[in-house]
Amino acid sequence: MRDITREKIDQIAQMWNARGKGLIDHMALEIEEVSTEGVRVRMPFNPDFCVDRDQTLLHGGILTALLDSVFGLANFIAIQGVSTMATLDLRVDYLRPAHSRADIFVRAHCYRQTRHIAFNSGNIWFDGHEDAEIARGSASFALTRGETSLFDAMTREK
Amino acid sequence: MNMMTLQIVNANVSRVPFFRFLNFEVQSMDSLHAEAEMTFLERHIGNPVMEHYHGGIIASFMEATSAIAVQPDFADVPAKPINLTVDYLRPGVRGPLYARATVTRKGKRIASVRVMAWQTDQEKPVAEGLYHFLLV
Repeated sequence: MRDITREKIDQIAQMWNARGKGLIDHMALEIEEVSTEGVRVRMPFNPDFCVDRDQTLLHGGILTALLDSVFGLANFIAIQGVSTMATLDLRVDYLRPAHSRADIFVRAHCYRQTRHIAFNSGNIWFDGHEDAEIARGSASFALTRGETSLFDAMTREK
Repeated sequence: MNMMTLQIVNANVSRVPFFRFLNFEVQSMDSLHAEAEMTFLERHIGNPVMEHYHGGIIASFMEATSAIAVQPDFADVPAKPINLTVDYLRPGVRGPLYARATVTRKGKRIASVRVMAWQTDQEKPVAEGLYHFLLV
């Protein structure tokens, strides 16, 4: 496994944040910590993601979407020379009702990578309540190795 | 289920902020099924290069459809999800996405739901899911 430079990590983080369209942009994610060991991302509270009229209870689906997104970022950083990456499967346990207007944190890492597959796990908690996880998830991703890296394809798009 | 009831279900759906964000409508249902259609929006995009649906949006839509199959008459908040497993089979491309949820077991406390999502051909699913809900 080749080492990734700090510069490349920052570039990937910047590109990931500046995609300018789609769900990840809507979630307004802020990368708080990023290394090949894993990533930690903050999602500000958004009333659009709630299920109740008072808008204090988040829908489970947004937590699932958050895990899926951040697994992708963790893989970007941890795995070199990937040309495509697709979620193969995803499992999420909703451990507590997501009842708060606090920001959300998600931590994710790639705990095993092979030529074809990446394995991820991660968890979610409200700001200030890391001891009371609200969700935990794991996923596997199908990878295609190639000359054209996903990173290059996405930066060329700009 | 008659037209009138479907209207009531969709009126409930439209009161849930996140369901409005997903932008879907329930099209048919009976005591064990719910079928819904989601209209593609820019905010559903996961892969900005290919403009595919975000996997999390597909999972959210399947969760929403499953919750409605389990508890179509929810008053305030939809059925409480416990956990889920999703198998992603094909990319979801720009265009409408359909989901059909089937309640495989509904006990006193817990319900299991199988759900599939497709686009142009039901025989070529985009994703399949298994969701559990807590009924108490």
